[in-house]
Amino acid sequence: MNEVPTASDLEARLRQASSLPEALDASFDAFEAIRRAARDCQDQVPELFAAFMMTADAAVDGREALTPAPSLPLTSGAEPSNAGAAPADASQVADALTALAAALRDRLTDAAVRADTPDDRAACQDAAEAAGRICQLMTR
Amino acid sequence: MTVTPVFGEFLGPAGDHITAAVSFRGELPYDAQCGVVGQLDRLVATLARYLADLPDEPGLARRPERNAGTRNVAARLALGRAAQSLHHAAVGMADAGVGRVHPVVGHLSAAADYLAAGRDLLQTHFFVDPAGSRTDASYWAPVITSGPVTAALLAELADYARNLAPWIASQSGARRIGWGKLTSAQLALRSAEPWLQVAGTAIQAAQRAHYPLPARTLLAAIPANAPPPRQPPIPGEPVRELCERTPVTAERLRYAAFTLTNRARWPTTTSASWRRDALASAITSHSSELILRTLAERAGQLGLEADLQAQLHTAACGMAQAWKAWRAVTDWWDVITTGHPRGARPTPIAIEIGDLALPTGRLGYRNPHWAPAYGNASLIRDPAGLAEAPGDVITVLAAVHHAADAISRIATADHAAVLDAAGSQLYVPTRLLPENYDIPHPYAPAPRGYADALLAAYDTAIDATTHITTALDDLATAVDAPSSVLAAGRQASAAARHDQHRQQDQHWASPPHVLAPVPGRTEQALRKLQIRDPALLLRAAVIDQAAHDLVAEATAKAHSRDRVTRSISRSMPGIQRRAAGSPRTPADQPAGVASQDAPRAASRAAHQGPSQHARPDRPALQQCSHGPHSASHR
Repeated sequence: MNEVPTASDLEARLRQASSLPEALDASFDAFEAIRRAARDCQDQVPELFAAFMMTADAAVDGREALTPAPSLPLTSGAEPSNAGAAPADASQVADALTALAAALRDRLTDAAVRADTPDDRAACQDAAEAAGRICQLMTR
Repeated sequence: MTVTPVFGEFLGPAGDHITAAVSFRGELPYDAQCGVVGQLDRLVATLARYLADLPDEPGLARRPERNAGTRNVAARLALGRAAQSLHHAAVGMADAGVGRVHPVVGHLSAAADYLAAGRDLLQTHFFVDPAGSRTDASYWAPVITSGPVTAALLAELADYARNLAPWIASQSGARRIGWGKLTSAQLALRSAEPWLQVAGTAIQAAQRAHYPLPARTLLAAIPANAPPPRQPPIPGEPVRELCERTPVTAERLRYAAFTLTNRARWPTTTSASWRRDALASAITSHSSELILRTLAERAGQLGLEADLQAQLHTAACGMAQAWKAWRAVTDWWDVITTGHPRGARPTPIAIEIGDLALPTGRLGYRNPHWAPAYGNASLIRDPAGLAEAPGDVITVLAAVHHAADAISRIATADHAAVLDAAGSQLYVPTRLLPENYDIPHPYAPAPRGYADALLAAYDTAIDATTHITTALDDLATAVDAPSSVLAAGRQASAAARHDQHRQQDQHWASPPHVLAPVPGRTEQALRKLQIRDPALLLRAAVIDQAAHDLVAEATAKAHSRDRVTRSISRSMPGIQRRAAGSPRTPADQPAGVASQDAPRAASRAAHQGPSQHARPDRPALQQCSHGPHSASHR
């Protein structure tokens, strides 16, 4: 059994973020939480090895896209996101990651529209694309 | 399916056309004789070029591999003489009716075309700089210069020459004009034939003496140095097509790996590409483990040899080690990065390595639309669905072998690039570091331990990949799989590299020395004595060539010593003053300097009377070594 990241907490942070720095902060943590969850699951079911490996990689892509964004705070504003995770099997983890990635994609797409600087905008667009890929990879 | 042309596609037809030409037993009409001379001129000249491509440098130390240029000097001289005879005649006949319509002329023309095209194909694997130095342009280059491939090439050339010579002999006297005289074409053929016969014998002798294990299959498999067209996987392909696709993708990746290693190092590559390569390597190796386990099971069901089942099982275990090692590399790339520079583009490998992971996954899993996504996940294939018949076991094994080989080469290329970057271009996002790191920047230099751990993970992955590639080499060779050429190429290339390292102080790749186009002193002496025996004339030519090479080597060495002496004199004024006040001794002269290297015993022997010069078993080289000196004293 694995641990479902507190996807709802992260989704809530994404929804509640009122500024671009807050949205980027929450997004970075969400990508990192997805990466960790995917890594935890990748060896559990041989048939899903490739899917979870690809998901972790896409999460790194999203995180790397956000890292140079000028509006991203240099330190995280929250505790590690999967601290209170609950046990789950691979399918539950996949569902949670799909939902979280969808929320990420939507929030980042919106942030890209509202971003003032080209670098923030590009970072949001690239990260939204990575979140969209995670959705596709984890959808059952 | 479009694939890159291979040398065998030229070699085979060339031999077939020569065989067809020499099977003609009739009497050629005059215009066909002229056509034959013209096409033989082209053909023999091409054979001579093949031999001239073999490295040859005066003074080269003995080497077990690829010293064929020196070893084939007799053959090259003989072919040169044959080409000379034919060319003079062919030029004179250029405007005459060339009889191209005659089948024999057509066959010879086609053979010359194929051989010329084949040589061009081999040459694509080398760069030649303006000074004539040759460097590798592909991973096939060391295979081409290896002993076994050289042997195979020499054996082919010898066969051509030996097939042509007796036929030319039969044609050179077959038709007479008027007063019993031979035609000019027949005279040319008669003049060339003995040289061609001698060349064939000399090439064969050189091959048998120095390269006893020709690798004809490997020679024939050498592709042109151009990647085959990309063939992205198509969902739903059956096993056979997946197996055909994999070697093509693997070859493209091998080509890209060589290119990146030799021409496009950091900083054009970012960690995103290396991360993608490691990811695809892990997924491909994971699928490959499943395939090998399924094949082992199927081999048992089909009643194939127990050894094969055991080898497949062992290979599967090795593949498991490989994917776990690659997974560890991806773990480190989760936190280490080169940054995310705008405009950075993935490498060709990173773009296409997914083309390797997809068909491998579709071979391993039951879903013909398999993709590395949850929604496309699938159960493992049934053994019978993967390999229906025993031959299918080999076909699938070959696909896995190709994939592993490509991953192995990519790993080496990426490791070298990461090693370059490890010094100062690896970072971690500051947000991932512990809070006590107070760095006002999105990225911080990767702690030394991170870079070391990443490189150690690469080392482990490369070891595991090398291990499994070697195991698959052995397996493919044992069952004579189509991919066994990979194993043969790796062995040949390793032998060539080993030899190259031993000879690295010597510039073996310098342009081949020029063979004397006209008869030398010794050969002229024999001709004055009306000697026409090609064997004797060839020995004389070899002696002249050896003398030429010796003088060239001594002159080069003397010039080199002069440069060193001048350099020392400039740095040590005392020596300079003494040298300035002293008469120049004979030992200071270039020839004198060179002679200091001569063994003293040989020098003494030279003064012990004429009997020492007249040893019948080695007269030529001893006498010729004195020739230039005696000439200079006259």
